[in-house]
Amino acid sequence: MAAASSSSTSPKTTTERRGIPGAQFVEDVETYLSQTGLDVNSALAFLQERLQQYKLVEMKLLAQQRDLQAKIPDIEKCLDVVATLQAKKGTGEALIADFEVSEGIYSRARIEDSDSVCLWLGANVMLEYSCEEATSLLKKNLENAKASLEVLIADLQFLRDQVTITQVTIARVYNWDVHQRRIRQAAATPTA
Amino acid sequence: MQQGTGGSDTEVTWEDQQNINKFGRLNNRFHELEDEIKIAKETNDNLEDASNELILTDEEVVRFQMGEVFAHVPKEEVETRIEEMKEVTSKNLEKLEEEKESVLAQMAELKKILYGKFKDSINLEED
Repeated sequence: MAAASSSSTSPKTTTERRGIPGAQFVEDVETYLSQTGLDVNSALAFLQERLQQYKLVEMKLLAQQRDLQAKIPDIEKCLDVVATLQAKKGTGEALIADFEVSEGIYSRARIEDSDSVCLWLGANVMLEYSCEEATSLLKKNLENAKASLEVLIADLQFLRDQVTITQVTIARVYNWDVHQRRIRQAAATPTA
Repeated sequence: MQQGTGGSDTEVTWEDQQNINKFGRLNNRFHELEDEIKIAKETNDNLEDASNELILTDEEVVRFQMGEVFAHVPKEEVETRIEEMKEVTSKNLEKLEEEKESVLAQMAELKKILYGKFKDSINLEED
């Protein structure tokens, strides 16, 4: 997990995580503006743009998360079916199942005792495995999917934190600007 | 959840920022949990209905869905399977409800702290 601190002062800036740039926490708005040499409007524009980029990445990650969350129950169902076939093996009776031929049309299949199953691997490829091999392959896929999901969720949390920090910074820069204008106006009125 | 919108001079420290971040994360998790709890409750209800139907039916062989096909399974085995599934779902539901309580409690704590410091400058309610 990349959580490297930036080279500058504080441990409060996380440079980046897997390609997502970290949002710099602003201690003091005035110092921030003079450091970056930006005026208020440019700073706001820059921060808004950063926010948009974050939103794009967030949508992409959410889509990946949805895919993974759909894949996991699928793998679990497959494991269940293989386990049932293995259980039936001992008894010597065939498994009778109704399956869908086309929408609304079902047909009956008689599945005899078998030592092997075929697994769909994607990309128009299907391989025959023994029941044990199939179970271990499916279990491994399930582990990988769950691990990827965890990493993805951590990425999303990091991303959301950066979004929050950026939103708060935008609000503070804007408020500081309003505050400055008020001071300038108050200073200007006595002479009017 | 909206961030500070007032024009006050309260400074935001790194600790405040971390609290705000944590509140945001908890809020997200809360919504995810609500969805998951809804799904778990529906699954529970479906299993309940299924087991009630089973009691009423007088067929010996039930078509039980496994993956994409409906396997012919003897009634007793189906009953056992449905009981197991109900166990799993209720335990899951319990776990989700517990997590939801904990998340709500943490959010209430953070609200107290953040409203305490920022008063009107921050809005932590649902929009």
